[in-house]
Amino acid sequence: MFEEASEVLENMLKWSVPLSLVLFLVLVCPLRAEAAHEFSVYRMQQYDLQGQTYGSRNAILNTEARTVDAEVLSRRCVMVRLADFSYEKYQKALRQSAGAVVIILPQNMSTMPQDIVQQFMELEPELLATETIVPVYFALEDEELLSIYTQTQISSSSQGSSSAAEVLLHTATANGFQMVTSGAQSKAVSDWAITSLEGRLTGAGGEDLPTIVLVAHYDSFGVAPWLSYGADSNGSGVAVLLELARLFSRLYSYKRTHAGYNLLFFLSGGGKFNYQGTKRWLEDNLDHTDSSLLQDNVAFVLCLDTLGNSDNLHLHVSKPPKEGSPQHALLRELETVAAHQHPDLKFSMVHKKINLADDTLAWEHERFGIRRLPAFTLSHLESHRSPARHSIMDMRSVSSLEGAGEATAGPHVDLTKLSRNTKVIAEALARVIYNLTEKGVGGDLQIFTEQMQVQEDQLASLVDWLTAQPRAAQLLDKDSSIVNTLEYYLSRYLKDVKRHLVRADKRDPEFVFYDQLKQTMNAYRVKPAIFDLLLAVCIASYLGVLYLAVQNFGLLYGFLRRVTAPRVKQH
Amino acid sequence: MKPSHFNSCIYVQSETRNYSKIDSGSARTFKGDAPEDFVTCSCHFKITILLDPRRINHTESSTMTLFHFGNCFSLAYFPYFITYKCSGLSEYNAFWRCVQAGATYLFVQLCKMLFLATFFPTWEGAAGVYDFVGEFMKATVDLADLLGLHLVMSRNAGKGEYKIMVAAMGWATAELIMSRCIPLWVGARGIEFDWKYIQMSFDSNISLVHYIAMAAVVWMFTRYDLPKSFRLPVTILLGLCVYKGFLMELFVHVFLLGSWTALLVKAVLTGAISLCSLFLFVTLVHSN
Repeated sequence: MFEEASEVLENMLKWSVPLSLVLFLVLVCPLRAEAAHEFSVYRMQQYDLQGQTYGSRNAILNTEARTVDAEVLSRRCVMVRLADFSYEKYQKALRQSAGAVVIILPQNMSTMPQDIVQQFMELEPELLATETIVPVYFALEDEELLSIYTQTQISSSSQGSSSAAEVLLHTATANGFQMVTSGAQSKAVSDWAITSLEGRLTGAGGEDLPTIVLVAHYDSFGVAPWLSYGADSNGSGVAVLLELARLFSRLYSYKRTHAGYNLLFFLSGGGKFNYQGTKRWLEDNLDHTDSSLLQDNVAFVLCLDTLGNSDNLHLHVSKPPKEGSPQHALLRELETVAAHQHPDLKFSMVHKKINLADDTLAWEHERFGIRRLPAFTLSHLESHRSPARHSIMDMRSVSSLEGAGEATAGPHVDLTKLSRNTKVIAEALARVIYNLTEKGVGGDLQIFTEQMQVQEDQLASLVDWLTAQPRAAQLLDKDSSIVNTLEYYLSRYLKDVKRHLVRADKRDPEFVFYDQLKQTMNAYRVKPAIFDLLLAVCIASYLGVLYLAVQNFGLLYGFLRRVTAPRVKQH
Repeated sequence: MKPSHFNSCIYVQSETRNYSKIDSGSARTFKGDAPEDFVTCSCHFKITILLDPRRINHTESSTMTLFHFGNCFSLAYFPYFITYKCSGLSEYNAFWRCVQAGATYLFVQLCKMLFLATFFPTWEGAAGVYDFVGEFMKATVDLADLLGLHLVMSRNAGKGEYKIMVAAMGWATAELIMSRCIPLWVGARGIEFDWKYIQMSFDSNISLVHYIAMAAVVWMFTRYDLPKSFRLPVTILLGLCVYKGFLMELFVHVFLLGSWTALLVKAVLTGAISLCSLFLFVTLVHSN
């Protein structure tokens, strides 16, 4: 009886050991795999502005890759290269309820022809305007990604056209790719603080001096926050403002040139999101404090927006300045300086009334205009709707020394033009502050020369630094290095440098930002389901053959025995 | 879109995702959205029936890769099972003896590792240059395998075939579990597909044959009644068995063989060794 029991136990153990091992491992061990390729992807914008939702609502994806020309796109990750991208294809992917869209951008945007860049820039606001569930990602192309793309393209385009046998062969040999993101679902960032910085240069001569405010917003905008470097818009504006701060602080440090105007410099955050920083700053200064430079005597507010290129300069106003007002003085001085010192520059005034029915305000000066402060915006762009103001193509500047004959696709900063614009503004401001025209000084006199000249390499290094990292408002919190560096820079030249924070209202937020903007995407090589079945069939047949071979091993044994036997018998 | 609607979208997505992969094999095009569409296509209907019981998780990829792991595991393990059953070992209650052989394998591997770690510290040789002498010395340590096999066989009383089979089965199974199961589990179950797991499973089959041959050669070598003329071939075979790994690496390095070619060469080499040893064994056993 014991023998039987032990035999039964032994059999049980024989079977249970491998089975339990497998079960144990199934239940316990986590799944981890190395991917064929791992790369960073940057998600499309997702934000709510004044209750209106924009952009892509979803962040996670775990779908098979296809290219746009495949027939079945639903629940697949559609991969498109920038060169092949068009709005119709994008709509087609969305209509077929694709799982995700990944747009592959070249590493070096300058290799793209001009028309593709232009077309994409025009598409960016449309992409954002259609609110979509589908996650849209941008990836920078490298060799492995390109090979994944070409393999996917081959397999996508060969579907639906071949016979069953070909398809079977194809499944055995081809590689499919499964794209998986590592992050979580996107959710709203709570309590995000937009930082703005202000600093001042106090004028000479007592109380009640008129104030001139110089404003530039330092954040950038594009279809993907992590890819918006904002070189021209508004890296150029920030560079001009900082250079003006340096020049005028130098002027104000000498008693003889210390003018009778207060200069207030303001770097606003959240500019691309309907000028949130400026709005709250104005509210705080005008409504909530007793005395502020903004309340008393404001000569005018000059907003700097996109000044890095082209030979045009426009002064955007919401109300044409009245004769004899300081605004009119600035307008006149700008015309004078442009005409006398820089004849190649075409200066004009553009009048656009504030339209409160629009979703967003056009230029930053309109915020001041609403609060009845005289303001204008200086920009080389003629219209606020220009795609150059919110494009990811707005990247690193090109100085005139390199690539003199080539036109860089897309908006960029041309340093000679930027320094010229800076000089024009500085000269005009100086003429207003020191009242030079009334004193009879001719339009040819240049103040900012020699030691006081606009330093082009200073501007260059500023623009370089600003475009070295993305400056989207969602990425710059109050501890970010950009804000800290700007604060440090301002405090070198200005006094009373202060931070100003804007947080969205809890109950009725003006802006809501979402996270999961940068992910790591893994591309796993996968085989289709048929392949596994095919493999199982092959393995089963192999095992069957093996079984027969082992069963008939005796035949081989006997054969060998017969072969060796005669030899033995000979002995 | 409210969150609840969104969540149900995901559920529907993953439910029907099992079917989505079949799209690639279809010569016809049809909407992958509604499961009813599959009924219209007869061949796919059968496949969906096949796939239905395996909807353990909601993500299709993990069921498919578990299937792949099952494929590899069965490819690796079944020959052992077949050999065990068909060689008649089960009649002799050899299970625990095989386990003992496996334990001896573990012990020998441990000793080898300690020895290698002590006397062969990490090489600072130039990268890319194949250190022939060093690898040769390391392969010499594999002589311990022979000793281990001899130890196992000497402890089992019985006919020569019984001893050989028990030792070889136990040794090879221990090697399978130790060196193949974990990589298969971790790798073949992943989403990423690689041919190396199938190759690993084939390799385990080849190892089985190799260990049977090695055990036979060791047994022959230790026989007191081995004729003089057999000494040399047996010794050569013994050497080949021990240095087979080294020879394989040499071939791969010198001729830059692809993975499948290397596997084929390994199979051929093992087949040759095992045929020779079988020949010698038959001659030896049936000469008296």
